[in-house]
Formats: sequence, C-alpha cells, structure tokens
Amino acid sequence: MKKRLDKGKISSVLYWLLFIALMGLFFTNDFGLMDIHKTSIITAVGIDCPEEEVVVTAEVAVPQPSQSGENIKYTLVQGSGLTIADALDEINSKLGLYPKLQFCQLILVGETCRDKDVFRVLGCFYRKNYSELTTLVAMCEGNASDMLAMKSEVSDRTSEAIRNVLSDEINKSGNAIAQNLKDIALLEYSKSRACFMSYVQPVMPGTSQDGGNGGNKGGEPIPQDEQQGGEQQGQQGQSGQGGQGGEQGQSGGSGGGGGQQGQSGQSGQSGGQTVEFVTHKTAFFSEGHFKGVLDDTQSFALAVLVNKIRVAVLQCDAEDLHYTLGLKYVKSGVDLKVNNGVPEVTISFKAKALIQGVRVVVDPEKIMKDDEVSNVILQSANKEMERCFNGLIEQCVKTDSDLLGLKEMLYKFNNKYYDAFSNDLLSRIRVKYNIDIQSVS
Amino acid sequence: MKINTRQVCFILFAYTAASRLLMYPSVLSAACRRDLLFPALVNFVISTLVILSLAILSSRTDKTFYGLLRDSMGKVGARVVFGFFAVYFLLAAFMPIFEHEQYIHAIFYDTTSTRVVFLPFFIFTAYAACKSFTNIGRCADICAPIFAVCMTLIFLMGVGEAKFVTLLPMLKEPPADIIKGVGDTALWFTEPCWLLMFMGHFKYRKGDAAKITLSYAAGALTVLFFLAIFQGIYGGIASSRTFAIARTSLFFSAIESIGRIDLLILFVLEVVLLFSLVLNIQLGVHTAAKCIGTDRLAVVSLVINALFALTVLIFDKYYGAIYELFTGWFWIPSIIFVLAIPLLAWTLKRRKNEKKAG
Repeated sequence: MKKRLDKGKISSVLYWLLFIALMGLFFTNDFGLMDIHKTSIITAVGIDCPEEEVVVTAEVAVPQPSQSGENIKYTLVQGSGLTIADALDEINSKLGLYPKLQFCQLILVGETCRDKDVFRVLGCFYRKNYSELTTLVAMCEGNASDMLAMKSEVSDRTSEAIRNVLSDEINKSGNAIAQNLKDIALLEYSKSRACFMSYVQPVMPGTSQDGGNGGNKGGEPIPQDEQQGGEQQGQQGQSGQGGQGGEQGQSGGSGGGGGQQGQSGQSGQSGGQTVEFVTHKTAFFSEGHFKGVLDDTQSFALAVLVNKIRVAVLQCDAEDLHYTLGLKYVKSGVDLKVNNGVPEVTISFKAKALIQGVRVVVDPEKIMKDDEVSNVILQSANKEMERCFNGLIEQCVKTDSDLLGLKEMLYKFNNKYYDAFSNDLLSRIRVKYNIDIQSVS
Repeated sequence: MKINTRQVCFILFAYTAASRLLMYPSVLSAACRRDLLFPALVNFVISTLVILSLAILSSRTDKTFYGLLRDSMGKVGARVVFGFFAVYFLLAAFMPIFEHEQYIHAIFYDTTSTRVVFLPFFIFTAYAACKSFTNIGRCADICAPIFAVCMTLIFLMGVGEAKFVTLLPMLKEPPADIIKGVGDTALWFTEPCWLLMFMGHFKYRKGDAAKITLSYAAGALTVLFFLAIFQGIYGGIASSRTFAIARTSLFFSAIESIGRIDLLILFVLEVVLLFSLVLNIQLGVHTAAKCIGTDRLAVVSLVINALFALTVLIFDKYYGAIYELFTGWFWIPSIIFVLAIPLLAWTLKRRKNEKKAG
C-alpha cells in the first residue's frame, strides 16, 4: 500500500513537472528561440505603383550589437511585385526574416497610385493578422520611396518626422486629418464609399508659404533637382522591375542603399537637402478611386467636422484688420433630414472664440479684453467658417465624393428614402449652415 | 453534492461569455453585418428559456440526468444517450480547439510558430478532463472573478472607440442572413447541456432557478455588449477581424504610447478561455466513461485527448473546411441536444429519490 502510494506520488510530481515545463515552453515560444540580432522590424512602408506592379519601400529597424545603448539602425529596403505581399516577400529575401508588419506605424501611398483602386493597393494590410489597423495612412506628393529617403531635421527617422505632423495634437487643432487603416476602411466600406487621408508634402525647412487668410500654411516647395537627389538615393535599394530579384535587385538594407541612417548608423546614406513635412491638405477617394486633393480651407472644414477639436485657429478680416481667432469648445456635426422630398443637410458649428492675434501694434491695456470678441469680428468669423464649409461641399458635389457620409446617414436615419436618393444624393441636397461662434466671455 | 449553485452560476456567467470572444463575433458579422446582435439574441433567448426549464426541473428532482434516463429507459438506454452526448460534447469542443489554436498562434506569437507549441494544451486538457465535477466548480470559483475584472478592463479600453450608431439601421439585413447567423453560431451554444449534466450534482434551494437563469442572462448580456462594441469599432470590416477579444482594445489611447498593455489582460483572460474550452471536453470524457461503464476517467481522458491532439496535427491545414463544416451543419445536432433533449427531460420519471431524501 505504502509502495503504491509512493509510486503514485512520484508519478504525480513527475506529471506536474512535465506539465509546468511544457506550459512554460507553450507560453514563451522557446520551441522557436530567436536570435534578436537576426530580426528586423518594419516601421514604415511607402507604396508606389509605377505601372501594373507595386513597389514597396520599407523603412526597417535593424538591431545592431552596441555597447552604447544606441543600437538600432534604420534603413530602406525595396521590393516589388503584383501585390504588396509579393513585394514583402522580396524584402524578406533581402532581409533574411519574414517581415511582419505588426510594428509598422506609417503607410505612405505615393502619387503614382492615383490611378489604382486604393483598397486594391492597401488590401494586403487588411488580410488576417497581417498588420494592426492602427497604422497611419497618408498620401504623399511624388513617390513614397523618395519621401522616405528624404532627410528631416526633426528626426533621424523620416517616418517619425512624418508621423509627427500626423499626431493626435495636430488632429485636435484641425490642421490635419490623420487617418489610420481602420478609419479609411470604415469610410470606404460604408454606404458612402468615400474616404480621405492626409496629403503629405515636403517643404524647405525654415520657410513658410506666402498667403493671406489662412492660406499660408506650409512652406516653399522642394526644388525638383533636390527631390531627384532624394530619388536617386532611394532608388539604390530598388529591385528590378517586374518581379522579384531582377538584375538590378540589390538590397538597400545592407548599408549601401538609399535611406536615412539610424540612431547609431555611420554610413551617411542620406546627404542632400533636409526637409520639413506639412499635411494641411487632404487627398480624397470615392469608391476606392482618387478624386483629388482638398485645399487648406476645405481640409480645415472637414477636420473640424470629423476630428475632436481642442483649439482651432481661424483667420478673418473685420474693420479692415486681420484677426486670428482661437476657437475652443468646438461642437460640430452634420445632420441629414428629408423635408418635402428634398434631402436637407444641416452643418452645425458652435465654438467660443478669443482673439489670438490682430495685425496692429499691441496695446497692453487691451490684452485683457482679448476674450471679449466684438460682434463684428464674430460675424466675420461665422462667414469665414461658412466659406470653408461651402468650399468643402462644392468639392464633394463636383467630384461626387460623399466625404461627409451623407449616404450612410440616409441609410441609418432615413432608411425609407435610401433607395430613392442614394444614386444622386449629392446633386439633390440643400445645405443649411448653423454656425454660431460666440465670444469666450 | 459535487458542485454548488454558486459555482453553476459562475460557470454559466463566465464560461458562456468567455467561449464567445474569439471567432464568434466575426462569424456573426460575416453572416448578418450590422444586425449581428439579432442572431445572438435569438440564440440566447432560446438557450435562456431552456436553461430556465432545466433549472426548474432541477427543483423537481434530486436525480442526475443519468439517473433520470436510467429510471425511465433502463441502464442500456441511459448509456446509449450518454454515448450520443459524449460525441456531441467532443464535436462541440472540436472547432473551438482549432479556433483557440489559431488565436494562440496569431496573437501570442510575433513570429510564425510551429504547430507543436499548441500540443501542451492537450496535456492540460487530459489532466483537467479526468477531474470530478468538484474541480469544475472550484475552477469556476477562480475564473469568474478573473473574468469579471478582465472584461471590465477590456470594455473600458474599447468602449471609447466604439460608435454604436454603426449598428443602425436595425433589422434591415435580409431575414435569411439572420437565420444563417443563428445556424452558423449554433455550435457555441452548449450551455443547456452543461446544466443537464450538472443536474443532481448540486443541491437545489429555493430561488436557485432564478439565480441560474439570471447568471446565464448576465453572461449573454456581456456577450451582446461585447458584440456591440466590436461592431461599433470595426463596422463594415468587422467580419475580417478574427479573434475579436484581441482587437477590441487596440485603439485605446494609452496603447500608442506605452505599447500593448492589453496583452497582459489577454494573458490573464487566457486562463478563463482555457477552462471554458476544457469544460466540453471534460463533460465529453465524463459522459463517455458513463457510456462505457468505467470509473477510469484518466484512461478515457488520455485516449480522447490523444485523439484530439492527433486530429489537430492532421487537420490543422484544413481549418477552412472544418470551419465551413461546423458552422454550416452543427445547428442540426444543436437542435437535438440543446433544445429537444433538455425539454424532453421533463417527460422522464423525476420522482424524488426517497431513499436519499430520507
């Protein structure tokens, strides 16, 4: 009996030891031990569609053995193919590790993709477990590979510099509309089938674009020859066209390729003109196809409708003076009702304004009264906002792009009219503005 | 008594919800899009009514289900019915095992993991499945509070991103799609069978029927709220977002700055998911042992789990076909085992066991 008990006890202990060991392996993936120095992580991708194929430029973080602690090198690697997966497979062959996009934080769509269905181009990112949908998406001026190869003064990583101008804080000021993969897919796969994303432009550092009322965001554009320099840098890593591993298919990932150096990189790949990035314009798409780019004021109008605004800045003229107003406590929205068979859109905008700047010599005694904005200025601000909204609506109607999600609203809240109006809703709408900007005190 | 009412309530609350956090939401969304709440509601209302009827039946007899069958149909008849239940429980566990395997590989591993990493799961199930109902109850005591805390955190992290207007307009999808959603997700509804097996193993006290039914309803409401959040976050692309529990908290603002802290919650929640998954295997082993008339649960468990492990290794690459098969046809055994048999249990001889009562 005692012997049997002892045997049972031993087998029970053995069982538990085996169980604990296997569970340990199960949860820690020690069956698949990996050498960290053989891994690489894609932090951003640029997508260009020169012809029928897709060229993917990946900004890759490659861990480097280092004593100093600064041990990550960022480099650009290119791949191409008929799908993004093809291109990533080529990148894999150059890096030696299957590149998962779990840590990719930015997708730049080049202007060459204008003629393609954007969701055919981006489709790969929505496939199961390929990447998280939190990744920011933006369209860029020129080639995405060129833009990722540019050198920014803001950050060693170009993608980080671009992400800075797509930050949550910029969203809250209405100066950009940062969209991630989920946001654009939600818009595209709604009844409205229209989506938008920031349009990134490089500008000369330390410059500002000339202009007057709110149209002076940005800076001087980069000269063509400077961009070419960046392009040449970027192209060093480009693969042969039309398939994997073509004759010119050399990796840009081994130090000699295009791109910027990382925190401890010493190879000095970038060179050339440094740039700043601006995102005050918005590229928009309808049914997956590129329709155009919203200008500053149209983008601002769209931003205040879709973003949660903390403080937005509005310029207006009143009493022959130029005023810069800060708008706080912004509440805005779009409503759609059908009255007497006519779809009526109401754009409402409420905010509290305070004076942030006036084009006069400052009078210290009057600064205290900046929170009291006169009715004349407020009326001018109301008109300016209406002008912004009007420009946006006109663009939507002109391009038949339902950026305000009116069809989705019709389907949700006025479903009985959906079949009747869905085909030509934008051409039928009557727009009402309910703009109420008040003084903050 | 092997299990008490509190533990039954915990099982019906926590395991009901935990078993529906992976593929269930995306399967529903694929079938019914914006109306995904309605097939879930239909299934839950039916199951709740069956559970209420079984809870009331438990108040009328202290016999186990096996006892009821034996007294009504004889030992052979009872064994045959339990044999069918064994097959049902094991089939009901089949698809969720694959579902869980995919979840582990996709969410917990950054690299492409091998199939071998999932095999230790079967050592765990082999051990757990041969344990008595007392152990099931004790596990539920541990799992229910863990589940409540984890789900509260997941809800808090996800609710801010959800736009509930995405669910509008309601009931505009074709009725055929709603019916398809009801049928496709029938395999996740095994709870009435759990209660059928627990009958006679817990001491019924006044008001227990209400407690049991409300616990199940609480689990159902948790699932419905989770579905609403999931659809509210992903809208038209919800059907492509498998493993919903790992996707719901992704857009929580703190995650961008400090990383995937939600994974810590998911790791903890994994404990509950494992026990909810094991329960069907456990009941399968118990019913199989009853069917063949043996007390050697360990041997039965080892054989069944070895077969499961082998099946996973062989059929892993045919996951798509298994998914189609189970979502397409499992509503048929569900009608028999979840609906018909529990209701027919009222026709069995349920006279109080006077000997025991005395």
